[in-house]
Amino acid sequence: MESKNNWKAWLYLAPVIILMSVFTFYPLINTIGISFLKNYNYISQSSDGFTFDNYGIVLGIKGITRFGHTTYMKDVIDYAIPNTLIVTFVTVPLSIIISLMISIGLNSIKFFKRIFQTIFFMPYVTNAIAVGMVFTVIFDRNGLFNYLFQFLGTSMGQAWIDMGASREKAMFALCVYIIWHSLPYKILIFLSGLQNIDQQYYDAAKVDSTPKWKVAWRITVPLLSPQILYVMITSFIGAFKEYSSVVGLLGQPGTSSGSKNMYTVVYYIYDTISANNVHYGSAAAVLLFLLILVFTFIQMYVSKKRVHY
Amino acid sequence: METKNLRLVIKGAQKDTNTTQKVDKILHIIGMTLIYVFLAIMALIIIFPFYWMLITSLKSTEEIRRTTQTFFPEVVMWSNYVDVFKRFDFVTYLRNTLIVGVISTLGTLITTIFAAFAFARLEFKGRDLMFSILLMTMMIPGEMMVITNYITVSNLGWLKDATGVFTSMIVPFWISVFYIYLLRQNFKQIPNELYLAAKVDGKSDWSYLWKVMVPLAKPTLITIFILKLMGAWNSYVWPNLVADKEQYRLISNGLRSSFSTVTGEPQYGLQMAATVLVTVPLLLLFIFFRKYIMRGVGRAGIKG
Amino acid sequence: MEIKLKNLTKKFPGDPKKNIKDTIAVNDLDIEIKDGELIGLLGPSGCGKSTTLYMIAGLKEPTDGEIWFGDEDVTHLSPEKRGIGLVFQNYALYPHMTIYKNVSFPLTNLLVDGPVIDKLTVRYLDEINILKDPAKIVDVIVNSVDKDKAEEERVIEYHPAIRAIINSFKTTQYIAKDLFKLELHLCENPEEVQNKATQAITVLEGKIEKRKKLFQTFKKDINEKGEITKDGEVVVKKHKLSSDEIDYLVRDASRLVQIDNLLDRKPSELSGGQQQRVAIARALVKKPRVLLLDEPLSNLDARLRIQTREEIKRIQQETKITTIFVTHDQEEALSICDDIVVMNEGVEMQKDHPQEVYRNPHNLFVAKFLGTPPINIFKGVARGNEVYVGDEKILVTSTDLGNRDIYVGIRPEGFLLGNNVEKVLTINIKQIVTMGRDMTLIGSHNDFDGEEIKIIIDSDIPVENGNNKFALRRNKVFLFDSLTNERIYFKD
Repeated sequence: MESKNNWKAWLYLAPVIILMSVFTFYPLINTIGISFLKNYNYISQSSDGFTFDNYGIVLGIKGITRFGHTTYMKDVIDYAIPNTLIVTFVTVPLSIIISLMISIGLNSIKFFKRIFQTIFFMPYVTNAIAVGMVFTVIFDRNGLFNYLFQFLGTSMGQAWIDMGASREKAMFALCVYIIWHSLPYKILIFLSGLQNIDQQYYDAAKVDSTPKWKVAWRITVPLLSPQILYVMITSFIGAFKEYSSVVGLLGQPGTSSGSKNMYTVVYYIYDTISANNVHYGSAAAVLLFLLILVFTFIQMYVSKKRVHY
Repeated sequence: METKNLRLVIKGAQKDTNTTQKVDKILHIIGMTLIYVFLAIMALIIIFPFYWMLITSLKSTEEIRRTTQTFFPEVVMWSNYVDVFKRFDFVTYLRNTLIVGVISTLGTLITTIFAAFAFARLEFKGRDLMFSILLMTMMIPGEMMVITNYITVSNLGWLKDATGVFTSMIVPFWISVFYIYLLRQNFKQIPNELYLAAKVDGKSDWSYLWKVMVPLAKPTLITIFILKLMGAWNSYVWPNLVADKEQYRLISNGLRSSFSTVTGEPQYGLQMAATVLVTVPLLLLFIFFRKYIMRGVGRAGIKG
Repeated sequence: MEIKLKNLTKKFPGDPKKNIKDTIAVNDLDIEIKDGELIGLLGPSGCGKSTTLYMIAGLKEPTDGEIWFGDEDVTHLSPEKRGIGLVFQNYALYPHMTIYKNVSFPLTNLLVDGPVIDKLTVRYLDEINILKDPAKIVDVIVNSVDKDKAEEERVIEYHPAIRAIINSFKTTQYIAKDLFKLELHLCENPEEVQNKATQAITVLEGKIEKRKKLFQTFKKDINEKGEITKDGEVVVKKHKLSSDEIDYLVRDASRLVQIDNLLDRKPSELSGGQQQRVAIARALVKKPRVLLLDEPLSNLDARLRIQTREEIKRIQQETKITTIFVTHDQEEALSICDDIVVMNEGVEMQKDHPQEVYRNPHNLFVAKFLGTPPINIFKGVARGNEVYVGDEKILVTSTDLGNRDIYVGIRPEGFLLGNNVEKVLTINIKQIVTMGRDMTLIGSHNDFDGEEIKIIIDSDIPVENGNNKFALRRNKVFLFDSLTNERIYFKD
């Protein structure tokens, strides 16, 4: 019976194995392979052999020589990588803190809890492109944002994301949008974590005259640490891969035509496909993968002592 | 040091109980008010873009461009919704999205059920190794795969005609490791005795799977169905690569491409009418299947 | 602290829409608990005893009635202001904190009302005190090393010698570390030890002088106890506990419950019994006015239970804190409590000394609830001075009982074999189980109210299966009214 089970089990797994071999495992290896090919052309499937140069070129260290001219491709090193890092290190901590505050608040109220919960979850069920376009309207030079925050020094006609807006301003708008869009998932995870914390810990803290802020900081947050770690890792990965928010908000990779100043790493990778430069895109993808891997391991390592399971 | 004589007192406790009670009550009210105010402000921020989308979709372009923004349309332009169908081929996109969504969802359900069953119930060599390899692939960014996958589908000749384009939008998404994981956990909770009892009764694995496990895991399957459908509705990146012709576009791509040319003044009223059309079905889905959606998403975190 | 519960009532509102009626968890409870008493709330699950405890703790709001601590009405006071220690059924130890942190946690929320002390001066003074007998320090350090070798490695982080100093001199980790660093144990001979100690004392005295000078620049001073003075008066105000004070208190409490060697661990590394002790230490460390224990032994295995309940008794006697102890296990309550309150369906059935509750139950419920094997209840009839079960007259009293239906309760040990006696009860014995000195007879009777009659008698007495006539011990027979279930008292 055991041996019978054996081949049967593989039969059940066959669809998964076949599909994953074609669309996950093979691409994984192939992409790494492509990243080491010189002048790879996916249409003709030809290349000029093995090279390490793609990585250097993507990072702007090595020049591309064509017809005797050497040009450096600086889009990735100047825009894509810094933008990705800014997005990551601005939106992830902020959204975690905000969603943590909202969840703890939600968990401590009785009335209107359900309606609040529903509202806070709404951005999750929206299309990134569609809501991105709403933010385009809000951040329009004649839009609501300028109008509402005039008392803080904005003025109508000031460009945030339109033609000619500065990169900093567009990044600001992008971060606002990303945070807004990423809150619900975190709130939901935190809330389900909070509901799993035994009420007795809070009763014990109450009996011990613990002030509310101390309960939140010394008891709730540590007991929530597995969820916080989980959310942290997934949002770091998500932020490193930010792409559709830029498309939604700007519809293009820059704040003026032809400019790539709003590139993210993933945006760059996709652009290489239409430009038939996938050997660069592959190199960038491998770099992104390594970056994510390193970050995930750092977080796991750092949190090992702090996370209580 | 002598600790016996140490007199410990509680912070904020007044000499008499009545005052303590009153102070407590006031502090409690203040605290609760602050929490509600904070939540209300955050809720307002969250909900505002939806409101803005709705009212902008009903404004005239002139009103939208005005330097004094209005919080309710002066003239309600229902015509935006009529006009939007001229620029935005909603029906085609909707049809495409539903075709892709439903077929890829059904495919996913089948592969997921099979795989989850094998991982949860059957014993075979290399099961745990195989499962951990699957889980590890969740860490790999999809961008690692997308380039080669694009090359694969184009080499398979799938990008030439309608069937091919749709196949390439569906088939690669027939696998979801996360859902396999979710369903496996669910299957594992079904007591082993049921399986053994079925074996004793002479039931095959196959009929046990369909007669016992699938019905018992129905809530999870519904969750997967809805989340997957939502995924199709929101997918942008891959369809954008493979469906370059107007008539193959899915809803997100159609939305973005219909309004992406930045020549002249953008017609925000029309744009927002289109985004309302794209957003509302999802919100409706959410309202009707709130329980399933929230549970499916929340499940991820509990495990940690 | 004396505790008074006056007409305490707790209703949980039902939902008329869903046809759920209000449930009365606690009904009109009146209990007085004397200062320093250990009282047990005993009853079956759902009888309202835990609800009562939670109301005393302030975690549940009473629907009606009052709770008094001494002459203070605390009915509507929030739990954090009541100054109580509560031990939860499953301990509720914070899993992310070490035992030390768990026990010290309540202290970080409290203030000291008294003279403000200079932490360092007091520390130096204490060190000087200990250094006066340096030979003992050397002794403690030298003896500690071997003894603790077997301890787990994690504890070694805390050098065993330091722990030995902490325990032997009942002092803090800070002082122990300072003393250990003097390395008196490395000296070659007693004279050197003495010299080194004298030197150290001189250094400490110098340090104390420096502290004094420092305070004098702020127009304050430190007296010989380490208290801060201003204009010659000791400064008295509410202030936070210093780390030294916390350490003293934590170690006092830990010694009391014997967990002082576990302080570095996390709760998950402890056994159930150890966790229980930690929970008690956490409740006691803040010197509560009242100690409340919610089913403290229910999560322990049988052997630990007996050990821990003795422990609770000892701790209570040492600290003399008024203690309320909730349990559904009669044996627990009977063995350690000064007084027992038996509850059923939210109502107090009887409050009495442990022996009295058993010996002298006030009603049918108490009689049935206490005693293993349980009391045997027969349906009977009272006719004037006589009591009948079936046709048999089992009792004649000098009290007129009237004519009514009654329940007759007979403890298992209340039977004597009595073939030649006049007033007997005939029971059909079906099974005889001999257990050493005693034997248990299992039998039946037509008027018996229950499944099987259990009788415990001396195993020497010859009994055989079939009908046997039993004489009854009067003090083991209780009569209850069949309508009110109240005890009917009678005289011989």
